[in-house]
Amino acid sequence: MSNQIAILLAVLLFPGGVFALALGLALKGVDRRVAARLQSRVGPPLMQPFFDIIKLGFKRTMVPAAANETVFLYTPLVGVVSMLIAAALVPITSVYAPDAAIGNLLVLLYLLMIPGIVLMIAGSASGSPYGAIGFSREMALMIAYEGPLVLIAAAVAIRTGMGMGGWATFSLNDIIAYQQTHGAFLFDPVMWPAVAAFCFFYPANLGIVPFDIPEAETEVLEGPIIEYSGPTLALFKVMSAVKKVVVLGLGIALFFPLAPESLVGGLLVWLIKMAVLMLIGITVVRLSTGRMRIDQAFVFFLKWPLLLAVASLAVVVVV
Amino acid sequence: MGLIPDFKKIATRSPWLYRINAGSCNGCDVEMATTALIPRYDVERLGCQYCGSPKHADIVLISGPLTVRVKDAVLRMFDEIPEPKVTVAVGVCPISGGIFRESYAVLAPIDQYIPIDVNVPGCPPRPQAIIAGVAKAIEIWRERL
Ligand code: SF4
Repeated sequence: MSNQIAILLAVLLFPGGVFALALGLALKGVDRRVAARLQSRVGPPLMQPFFDIIKLGFKRTMVPAAANETVFLYTPLVGVVSMLIAAALVPITSVYAPDAAIGNLLVLLYLLMIPGIVLMIAGSASGSPYGAIGFSREMALMIAYEGPLVLIAAAVAIRTGMGMGGWATFSLNDIIAYQQTHGAFLFDPVMWPAVAAFCFFYPANLGIVPFDIPEAETEVLEGPIIEYSGPTLALFKVMSAVKKVVVLGLGIALFFPLAPESLVGGLLVWLIKMAVLMLIGITVVRLSTGRMRIDQAFVFFLKWPLLLAVASLAVVVVV
Repeated sequence: MGLIPDFKKIATRSPWLYRINAGSCNGCDVEMATTALIPRYDVERLGCQYCGSPKHADIVLISGPLTVRVKDAVLRMFDEIPEPKVTVAVGVCPISGGIFRESYAVLAPIDQYIPIDVNVPGCPPRPQAIIAGVAKAIEIWRERL
């Protein structure tokens, strides 16, 4: 029973729910601010994403005539809930360890697919042709990046499992415990292909500029979310904010979870790592590249990240 | 008690802009893009963001004299923007037709068809004037929320 309450609290308060949402929005604020500074602008206030969400709460939700109303209104909710649960699975070294019942890498991988699927369903339920284009692009992109992600996860799991004398372990707590005693995977040459593949994966998963093809606002007018307004649009913003925390947290857990033993220190180091990962992987990449075409992105993913991921899996199994 | 007005005040710090080109010569649109893109003017300071879909917009910037052929499209698009919204007419075209004033193809002034809240005259107006117009629109928007 206490077990279930702990899981519930993790989903609703920390590290899911309120905490993940606030952190995701704050990261977005920092991202926009730093981006503005890099372009020598002043930029919005750091709290801007919070203002945006509150603003959207005051607007009206419009349902297009061509849309399937139930699906249209409730899919974003599914996305938000899945991301809140996913946020409760992400371990924070020496601060939070997910309950053994849920803290599994495979569960996290499945949950991470849901926002993409939600976008696809939302786009097609809205009845807009732009939504339909967004749907097909999202699907193509998902096919391209899910493969490398699964292989990366498998590489990490097998490396940990073999290190611990078994075959493969998908428990996030074990993965972190192993790295704490044997050193982070980031400094393990055997894991470098996997690290590189992950660096390609997360901008695509988060829809950052070279890979924001499904939502390209200048071509398909934000694609799947074109018809959403007011509170339902706010749900999408919440979903992507929490997703950012989940994906970056996953990266930290898989490759560099080392942190001091204390509670405050652990949290602080985790936040710093997250901010660095975001600034390098998202802000700078976003500003310095242009958007790819969907076919280019697809080929790109099937070439480099997939190759790297396969290589990492092979190396891990052989070494 | 005091929470809703507070939230409304916060909400007005996030105006999202949407541009409608009602047959403009593109001069005003270039000027609006400048307003958004050139570091010196940076509307993002006000929390503004240009958005791609009319359904996300709060403040509508309309340029051009509303030509006969785009009228239906513009009116439909205008209806797609959720309330509460504020309209800013950019340039002298929406006010009087500007240099297209006596053309058979033009329906200006635009406020016969769409309620306009702020006029920003000029052909094209300077970015500073557009930002001033947006700031004015934010004030009006605060009352409507
Ligand atoms: S006001 Fe001048 S610059 Fe603007 S659309 Fe009209 S003619 Fe062009």
